[in-house]
Amino acid sequence: MIKLENVCKSYFLGDEEVKAVCDVNLEIREKEYIGILGSSGSGKSTLMYLIGLLEQPSAGKILLNGKDVSKLSDDELSKIRNRFVGFVFQSFNLINRFNVIENILLPTKYAKEKLDFDPLKRAEELMKKFGIYERRSFFPNKISGGQQQRVAIARALIMSPKVILADEPTGNLDSKTGDEILKIMETLNKDFGVTVVLVTHEKDIARRTKRQIYIKDGKVVDKYL
Amino acid sequence: MRIQNGWLHLVKTALSDFKRNKIRTALTALGIMIGVMSVVLLIALGIGLKNYLNEQFESLGANLVIVFPGNLSGSDEGGGLSNFGAGFAGGAKFDEKDYFNLLRIPEADYVVPVFMKSGIIESGGVRKYGYLLGTNEQSFKVLNLELLTGEFFSRGDVSARSKKAVLGEVIAEKLFKDPKNALGKTIRVSDQRFKVIGVVKKKGDREQDNSAHVPYRVTFGTLNPNKNFFTIYLGTKDEEMVPILKERAKEVLLKRYEKDDFTVTEQTEILSTVNQIFTIVNSILVAIGSISLLVGGIGIMNIMYATVTERTKEVGIRRAVGATKSDILKQFLTESVLLSVFGGILGLILSAFTVLGIRLFFPAAINLFSVIVTLFISSAIGIFFGVFPARRAAQLPPIEAIRYE
Repeated sequence: MIKLENVCKSYFLGDEEVKAVCDVNLEIREKEYIGILGSSGSGKSTLMYLIGLLEQPSAGKILLNGKDVSKLSDDELSKIRNRFVGFVFQSFNLINRFNVIENILLPTKYAKEKLDFDPLKRAEELMKKFGIYERRSFFPNKISGGQQQRVAIARALIMSPKVILADEPTGNLDSKTGDEILKIMETLNKDFGVTVVLVTHEKDIARRTKRQIYIKDGKVVDKYL
Repeated sequence: MRIQNGWLHLVKTALSDFKRNKIRTALTALGIMIGVMSVVLLIALGIGLKNYLNEQFESLGANLVIVFPGNLSGSDEGGGLSNFGAGFAGGAKFDEKDYFNLLRIPEADYVVPVFMKSGIIESGGVRKYGYLLGTNEQSFKVLNLELLTGEFFSRGDVSARSKKAVLGEVIAEKLFKDPKNALGKTIRVSDQRFKVIGVVKKKGDREQDNSAHVPYRVTFGTLNPNKNFFTIYLGTKDEEMVPILKERAKEVLLKRYEKDDFTVTEQTEILSTVNQIFTIVNSILVAIGSISLLVGGIGIMNIMYATVTERTKEVGIRRAVGATKSDILKQFLTESVLLSVFGGILGLILSAFTVLGIRLFFPAAINLFSVIVTLFISSAIGIFFGVFPARRAAQLPPIEAIRYE
């Protein structure tokens, strides 16, 4: 589904070029549950953003269903992100002045084509599924971290994306709540056939996924040391 | 549906941001509000001044040729408007001899000399501010005055220097409560006493309505020591005679004065000159008012830059869930336009109330044109000053934005 071929991403810090990701080759197939494991600063988040088309590679190719996305315009990339990808972040990244339901509906506001579902109805279904329906008109700062992350997951799912990209989704949560979030991820993959890419620095978490990719100093390595 | 939904979301987002920053929003809108108010009020006052002067001229009868000292516009040497001030400052000083000379023009059906002086008119201990008009018996005809009560003074009164006065309705009311009580009473202006023999109906002209009309010869002395006239009106019953009358008056006056010492004009010419002057004055006023509008616009730009920085993370989040650059641009533009249109409408409403107040004593007016222009300009300001901050927001790299704390 998504294929990275010799992908590099470098940044400039002043005059110095920093390679965050280098020569990465990997393929993510439909309905997979993958863990990207790497220590802090290894380039794993950058890799995730590349997969999510939020970042364009400096070199190499990203193929989406066999099609090179590097030539796509900002509008086209945004459209793919909107329909195809759902992001879940460590710090939830909800908009604080919007309530729960408004946050969940946010991606539907950027749909460029007429939606084939009722956004409000689907948001309600998702809220019920994740046990946050009672909190629907609360603002993010009035609910717990675990609830915020559930809102973020509901937001990621509202457009029925093919892939969920989760960047340390349990990083800001206690282990019990973190475990609940991971269970949601597993359900999404197992019961709903959503491809899940989970980025983490914790081996224990990565181990719960079906396939692990180790990344070190911006490169994919065989074994995580 | 999608479009409508999109705009609704833009407006809702903007409003929720305004709600979060109430004071900041109010102050920014205040900047635009003051700008709009200054422009609209200056236009309203300009229109008012023009209306006022037009009314003054319209209160004169038609087919009138007006002679006054100095050179107002229409100068053959192209002096034009620049000589406007000089017209009242210098030039010829007409006297009774000029009046008699002009009387000899056969085409002139009426010749009315006018001496005017403002001051206190007193009667029975009541003192009111008004005007003394020294003129002749024909002035009532030329100025289209109608009697409310009593009678006009006659030609005989003028030559006999009769101390008789005909009052305007407003000044008569001020002095005697009921204008009809004025008849037979004595009024005093400086050291001169006059017997009121008539009151003329109100015309809506402040000077006319507050005037005491007296035979001009009576003023010769302490009231008008130089025996001068401020202006002389020549009237004709036949409209087609106006140009000829003008030429005749010029010929007569050229025998005594230089070409630039006096102006012979007709009512319509004066009106068009006045209108010309006020178009220019108005434009200058509007230009000055626009400066505050510009400052208001800069205020919006300033706040929008702050907002963009503050909401960098939000921009990143929105980009991640599928917002395009133009979606982000539209969002911030909507906010700056709403802010400035909000300020604009507020300014317009306040101006309307202010103008309503002013209208009690001055014919100021807000016209549709200024409303449309104001709304157009305030949205234009919102777009112009909002587009730079909005572009900055749209160009933010999504990753950096989302990581911004």
